[in-house]
Amino acid sequence: MLAGLQRAFQDAVLGEADGTLAEHVTAPGLAARIAVYRNTVQGSLGEVIAAAFPVTRRIVGDAFFSALARRFAAGHPPRLPQLSAYGADFPDLLAEEAALHRLPYLADVARLEWARGESYFAAEAPALTPGVLIETSPEALDALKLRLHPATRLVRSPYPIHRIWQVNQPEVEDVPAVDMSVAENVVLTRREGRVALRLTSAGDAALVAAIAEGEGLGDAAARALAEDAAFDLESALRDHLIAGTFRN
Amino acid sequence: MRTLNLHTLAAMAAGAALAVADPAAASDPKGKEKCYGVAKAGENGCAAANGTHSCGGLSKVNYSGQEWKLVPGGSCEKMGGRLEPFEGPSPLDPASKKK
Repeated sequence: MLAGLQRAFQDAVLGEADGTLAEHVTAPGLAARIAVYRNTVQGSLGEVIAAAFPVTRRIVGDAFFSALARRFAAGHPPRLPQLSAYGADFPDLLAEEAALHRLPYLADVARLEWARGESYFAAEAPALTPGVLIETSPEALDALKLRLHPATRLVRSPYPIHRIWQVNQPEVEDVPAVDMSVAENVVLTRREGRVALRLTSAGDAALVAAIAEGEGLGDAAARALAEDAAFDLESALRDHLIAGTFRN
Repeated sequence: MRTLNLHTLAAMAAGAALAVADPAAASDPKGKEKCYGVAKAGENGCAAANGTHSCGGLSKVNYSGQEWKLVPGGSCEKMGGRLEPFEGPSPLDPASKKK
């Protein structure tokens, strides 16, 4: 009985119709009153999505974004009591949205935004100490399994997601033309509470992906070289040490 | 697949480590402290303010007879409100007074 009422209430607040709620509740003006709850729930979840994906919102415009966010909210009620975790599947909705097929890069831009939020909220951990790379023997280095810092994310895309993200920041008034034929990879790291987005090469992206999958440094470097024969391991590792990509 | 021999790998790894000039740069500088709760927009706990204080401001109708708020006992009807939900515009809605 109670479960039925709760289910009917959930359907009423998440859906467009009042469903079966009227079977459980008799009240004057029920539809209009439940609409207040629906508006509050869907509106506040929509605002959470808007706050998490500001660049996506700027690209498609407020009105269309609101409609997308409401549709997402209706189909994806929060599963955790933690708003920073709400919206992980929103990029997938963008990828499937037929009306967005002319913006094929949009889902990847949204993934970049989501990765940025995840990085910001990830756990603290000490960054890899450079000395480890000096003190470890060559054989052990070859097999060394570096670990990504909890705040490190890698987003790879066939589109120029870093450039699109940059030119759609609030302070940019005149968005320049972007060459959509460029593929871009971004490594996100966090130092001292700030998330940094770093455009990186295909080889370096392959290195980070291999390390994320648990490959030893030797095999990871080989995968980076297979992706990009000009890959420079030394400068890539230097940049990662500075950025704090890995943890101790 | 092209691979690095062990000594090349070790030399590059060491080179990278040595190039991180100041080891102190890789650790938290002294004199700073972590400060939570002051993040600026876009870098913050995104929606906390929206999500936790969302109820106000989302109603689509001003002074709706279906909306209510808590007011001091006895003051409701003095302000032009009613104690039961009602249909139609409220006498408080400026739009209803223009005609």
